[in-house]
Order: sequence, then structure tokens, then C-alpha cells
Amino acid sequence: MTALVPDERAATATGRPAAGWRLLLDSPVNVVSAVVLLVVLVVALLGPTLAPYPVNAVDVPAALQPPSGAHWFGTDDLGRDVLSRTLVATRVSLQVALVAVAFALVVGVGVGIVSGYAGGWLDTVLMRVVDVMFAFPVMLLALAIVAVLGPGLTTTQLAIGIVYTPIFARVARASALAVRVEPYVQVSRTMGTGHALILRRHVLPGIAGPVIVQTSLSIAFGILSEAALSFLGLGVQPPRPSWGRMLFDAQGFLAQAWWMALFPGLAIFVSVLAFNLLGDGLRDVLDPRQRSLLRTRRLLREARR
Amino acid sequence: MRRTSRPRALTAGLAGITAGLLLLTACSGGGEAVDLDGDTAGGASGAAGGEATGPVLRAAIAGEPDQLDPQSTSSYFSFEVLENVFDTLVEPDENLEMQPALAESWETSEDGLTWTFHLRDGVTFHDGSDFTAEDVVYSYDRIVDDELSNAWKFGSVTDVVATDDSTVTITVSAPTPNLLSSLGGFKGLAIVDQANVESGDITTKPIGTGPFSLADYTPGDSIDLVANPDYWGGAPEIGGVHYTFVSEGSTAIAALQNGEIDWTDSIPAQQLETLQGAEGVEVGVTPSNDYWYLALNEAKAPWNTVAARQAIAYAIDRDAILQAVSYGTAAENQLAIPQESVWYTEYDTYSHDEARAQQLLAEAGVTGGVSIDFLATSDYPETVTAAQIIASDLEPLGITVNIRTVDFATWLDEQNSGNFDLLMMGWLGNIDPDDFYYSQHHTDGGSNAQGYSNPQVDEWLDAARTETDTEARKELYAQAATTIADEGSYIYLYNPSVIQAWSTDLGGYTARSDRAIRFRDVTLAEG
Repeated sequence: MTALVPDERAATATGRPAAGWRLLLDSPVNVVSAVVLLVVLVVALLGPTLAPYPVNAVDVPAALQPPSGAHWFGTDDLGRDVLSRTLVATRVSLQVALVAVAFALVVGVGVGIVSGYAGGWLDTVLMRVVDVMFAFPVMLLALAIVAVLGPGLTTTQLAIGIVYTPIFARVARASALAVRVEPYVQVSRTMGTGHALILRRHVLPGIAGPVIVQTSLSIAFGILSEAALSFLGLGVQPPRPSWGRMLFDAQGFLAQAWWMALFPGLAIFVSVLAFNLLGDGLRDVLDPRQRSLLRTRRLLREARR
Repeated sequence: MRRTSRPRALTAGLAGITAGLLLLTACSGGGEAVDLDGDTAGGASGAAGGEATGPVLRAAIAGEPDQLDPQSTSSYFSFEVLENVFDTLVEPDENLEMQPALAESWETSEDGLTWTFHLRDGVTFHDGSDFTAEDVVYSYDRIVDDELSNAWKFGSVTDVVATDDSTVTITVSAPTPNLLSSLGGFKGLAIVDQANVESGDITTKPIGTGPFSLADYTPGDSIDLVANPDYWGGAPEIGGVHYTFVSEGSTAIAALQNGEIDWTDSIPAQQLETLQGAEGVEVGVTPSNDYWYLALNEAKAPWNTVAARQAIAYAIDRDAILQAVSYGTAAENQLAIPQESVWYTEYDTYSHDEARAQQLLAEAGVTGGVSIDFLATSDYPETVTAAQIIASDLEPLGITVNIRTVDFATWLDEQNSGNFDLLMMGWLGNIDPDDFYYSQHHTDGGSNAQGYSNPQVDEWLDAARTETDTEARKELYAQAATTIADEGSYIYLYNPSVIQAWSTDLGGYTARSDRAIRFRDVTLAEG
């Protein structure tokens, strides 16, 4: 009798995507990550309205004050409120990461599926280009691009986007190669469906899983890359705050004002961790092998009750 | 006068690339010239007496020299080392008055057009060769003929001749009261060795006549100097100097407090307070001859009008800028020359007055929003800090300041091609008032990037160059400087202090206002 219950559950769980979502939310880690990201997103949207002080209000006599009732996160070397700057910086940091990853996603996936689907010389040429880009360390390539184009918000987004494009191209190509030889694609082709339609209808949905996972992980790295570039003074230009820029400004004051570095550092840590953990969770759910493992675990857990 | 390049905040990544390239070049270059290098190095250290005989001073400077050719480099890091390796004909004492060095004495002809320098006898270069009048002629000819960065200092010089082995005669086209400070102001005018220059070794293994000779240079790591026992001023008491490059101020300060180094100038102003009470550490804060200023691009409207420039001068909060960039170590000054100088002129026209600024902007015909492109450089963090304060000061006037932070090389390019509305920069190491005002504000001045032109000011500056009466000369500069500030060619901000710290074991050292780092007369208690 008890053995019947899991069977029923298993039967209902086969329907996607509801089952996917349920599997995802099964893990408290994923739930916490998702909530954190939601908070980060809200702060990014409402940052300036949430901030207790104008973000660039210089007040030198009030410089380097430790955290207090008036300034929860203290003040920086120009007397600006660190809490306000950390909140407002959320938008910049997130915006850079999202725009950059969106760029990488569109270009990378485009290149990847065309390459994987078409094969032949086009595949060879595109993938060699991707290999060349892969050969450069990520930060070095980003630095080189910013050095050529000049520092600033737009170039930072572009640099990070370009740097992460090859990863998406690889992921998309691998999946496209697998999908291309599926019988339903072959059949569709013999029935005279155009390449564009096949790419849109069959290949693109087929690669969605790995690409979604890669997106989540890449956003985390995008935030880090933005922070790194801004830390080197190449990203967001002052007085506009970003988390990396705030760390850059804090580096001369570590001995006097730990709060200048701690809070933006924490913001980076928490949001990157959340994106990474959610990415991991998504992979577990979207990867067929991992998914069946999760299902089995879930069934076993249910069975034990 | 030199605008020194301190590539302190050059991004770690890019610096890594550059360092890598430098190492590669060094390796390949060394491979081709192994024998030659070996010979000269052996000769140099042999002649200099070889091993150190006293305690070695460990000094941490804030960055690595770009090269060790004193006549070619414009990096202050290079001069921190080369000050102790080379000599000039004359050199400034603590009060920046010129004193004999390689020239023992000199006289000027009645008409002021001929200067005769009598050179010191028995001076030798570190490689053992004799120092003669020919070396002086060669050194000066090289600066002029190769158009090195100090060539302009010879603007009025028509001829440099070696009358005999120990006499040099310099002919000038007009009386040149500041010739001595042009020739001796800093080691950029050093007397070099012809063979050393022609072999190309001078960039890594310079040979001078100074109190220390270069024993070893490991790029990216350290430079070692050994005391010169034959130095004309008497052999130094210490055995040598070991320079390391520490750009991170906290690291240098910790090393000093732990007794790992004896001297450093890698000290962020905000950390001065913690250092001042520290045991075993002496801190030198000396008002310097450097000055920092704002300049508006007069090729662009509305900054071509005096009123608009004055508006900016009234709008900025000097107290806030001073506090944020120097933590009370700098002195506010609305002209260039500091209070300690004999050439100082009192001037305090501008105050922080928003209403006045508003009114001046209206006079200049500025209505509605204006945006300013502020050219700052991360190599000089004070420009970025001040830019943010200025941005916040100008906001109420309806002026939006867009700060553009670039590396110093790009900064120079952008300045010279007029790609800016507003910039902040400093001039270091000036001595004579001509250094302070001529090339920056004369219509034909070489450093007049802001494009200021006032025939009356030109006339004063030209006249002051040839005026031999000191009082009259001072009056001319006072008039010129006041007009320059009144019309906002430069908006002068402050004179910073020289900040250095050293171990109490180090005796006889003073932080000099011209930033020259001289170790020849110091003593070091061993322990």
C-alpha cells in the first residue's frame, strides 16, 4: 500500500516544467538563493529611492566616520554614505553583468547553433576563432579590450560580453550537434522544413537547459569581472558607484576605515554566491542525468515516510 | 621643472603585461651584449672600490624607475636613485640657493652674456676616467642636440665651450639671471660619461661622478648603490643604498615599523597620523615647491571668457579639496610659488562663494545646463578625489561634471591635443619663478595647454627672464602671477608637502622641499 504512493507521485512528476520547478524548490539552498536574488533585483530597481542619502553628496568634514545610527555603513573618504552607495551600486553592478551576459548569450548562442547545425568549414572557422578567444585568460582579454576602447560603463559591458561569448558558443554548439542528429530533426528536414525554422523550433529549445545554467553562472562571473575591472579603475567612472569601484576607493583606507571595503565586498560575495548556487541548482534540475538522480532521491525520501 | 610620472595606480594587470615585456626585452638585450656588459660592470665596481664598507641603507621608493639615464628620464622614481649617482655643475642647498658642485666657482661678464665656470680638480667618474670640461660640453650638447626634455632650459644659451680642461664658458644671447638654477636645479642636467651614453649602458648601468656608484640593478626588484670612496665631497659614511620598489603605502609603512627598511616616501597622506606617533620612526613633512592647479580649456566656449573661469574658481570648495587630498599636510595657495620661497607673493582673491559664481556665469552668458569633461588620471589619485568634490561643487550651478579617468600617458596625449574642458595636475621640482610661470602662461609657452594668451603677461614674463635686479624681477613676476590668477589661466589650489619617514637609526637626513633624496651625508646606526 505504501509502495503505491510514490508511484503515483512519480507519475504526476513526469509532466514538465512543473516537476522541474518543484525539484528546484525542493532544496532549501535554491530557495534561499532565489530569495536573495529577488532582494538584489528589487534593490537594483529601487536603489536610489531606498538610499537614505544622495549618492554623490560630498561632505568632507564628515569623512571616514565609522558605522553609526546616522550612517549605518559609515562614510567614505569624501564623507559620502556607504549604505546609500552600496544600494545604488547594485543597479550598476547588476546592469553591467546582465547586459554583458545578454550580449554573450545572443552572440554566443547564435554562433554556436549555426556552427553546430551547419557543420563543415563554417563550423571549423567559427570554432577556431572561439578557440583563439579561449586561449586568452578572461581578465587579460577584458583588460586588453578596455585598454583599446577606453574605460567606461559601455566598454566594460562590451568587454565582459565579448569575453564570455566563447563559452556560450561552445555550450550551444555541443547541444546543437546532439540535437541535429535526433530523428525528429532529420524527419522534419526530409519533410522540407527550412533551416531557420528547424533552428528555431527544434534546436533552440533543445539547448535551452545548458544555456540557462550557463547564463546563471556567467552572471555571477560578470559581477566579479565588473568588480575586477572597476577595482583596477577601468570600469565605472567616478563618482558613479559600483561595488568594484567602491573597493578601489577603499584600498587606501583599509587601516582607517574597514567599513569602506567590507560592505561592498559583502554585497559582491552574497550576490555572486546566490547566482552560483542557483546555477548549480538549475543544472541539477535541467541536466537529464542529474534530474533522474534527484527524482530517485525524492522518491526514496517520500518512501521512507 | 618636470612633471614626474608616478605610475602608481596603473592597473595591476596592465602593469603585469608591461613588466613581462620589460623582462623579455631585458633578457634578449642582455643576450646580445653579454661580454660588453660584463666588462663595464666589472670595471665600474672595481674602480668604485668594490664591496661596501659600512652599513647599507634600505630605502623603499614608491615605484620603479623607467630607466636610469638622468638626461632622458622624466620619472621621479629614477631621480630618487640618480640624485645619489650623478652631479651637476651647481646644486641647490636646503634653501634652494645654488652652491658649487662640479663647478668650484664661476663668474659672469660685465654685460651678463658670458659665464665662466671653473671646474673642480681631481674628480673622476665611477669607471675611473677623469672628469673634464669636455664632459660638460658633451652633456649639454647632448641635451640640446637630441632635444631631450630639458633642452628648453638652454633656451638663451648660444654656445658651450671648453676653454681648457677645467674651464667651461657658456655664452647666452641675453642676460640670464636663472642660468644657475637651470643648470643645477635637478639631476636632469647631470654630467654624463660619453662612453657610457654611446654604449647605451646608461639606461641600466649609469656611470656618474656622484657619492654612490651603481652596483646592481635587478628590474622589478631592486637597485643597489655602493659608496664611492673617491667622491670629491668625501666618501659617504654608509656603505651603500639598497632601493626596493613598494607602491603600496601600507606595506611600506609596516616594513618601516618592523625595521625591514630604513627609509620610505611611499606614504599615503591619510596614514600619516598613525605613523607620526610610532616608535623608532621619524616623519619628515616639509612644505614643497610643487603646486597643483585646475586649468580650463580656453579653446572651448564658455571657458574662453574670464568670467566663466572665475566662476569655477569661486565655486570650488578649496578647504574640502585640501582636506580630502592631503589630510592637512598641504598649504592652500592661490598662486604657484609657496610661502617659504623668497619669490612668494600674497594673493587670496578667491573664496568659496556660490552666489558670486552664479553671477559670473550669468555675466559670461552661460544659461541652462553645461557639461564639463574633467580629465583626471588614476596615476595621480588626488585628481580623481578632487574631481569628485568639484563635481559636487558645480552641480548647484547647473554644471554637470563628467569625470574621465585615464592613465597618465593617455592623459598627456589628451591634454596636448586639447581634448578636455577641465583638468587638474601638478608641477613638481620648480625652483626659479620662470619655471613656475613662463612655459605655462606665455602665449608661446611649451606647456600652455589651456591656451592662455595675454600680451601684457607675455611682456612681463619676457622682461623678467633678462632682468638682473632681483627686486625688479620679483615685482615683474608678482604682476604676471596676479594677472594669471585673476584671469583664471590656472586656478591654483595648493602646495603639497614632501612626506617621508625614516628609522631613528638614520642620522643627518632631512626631507628637502625640492624632493631631492640625498643620502651622501647620512649615518646609519647598525643594529
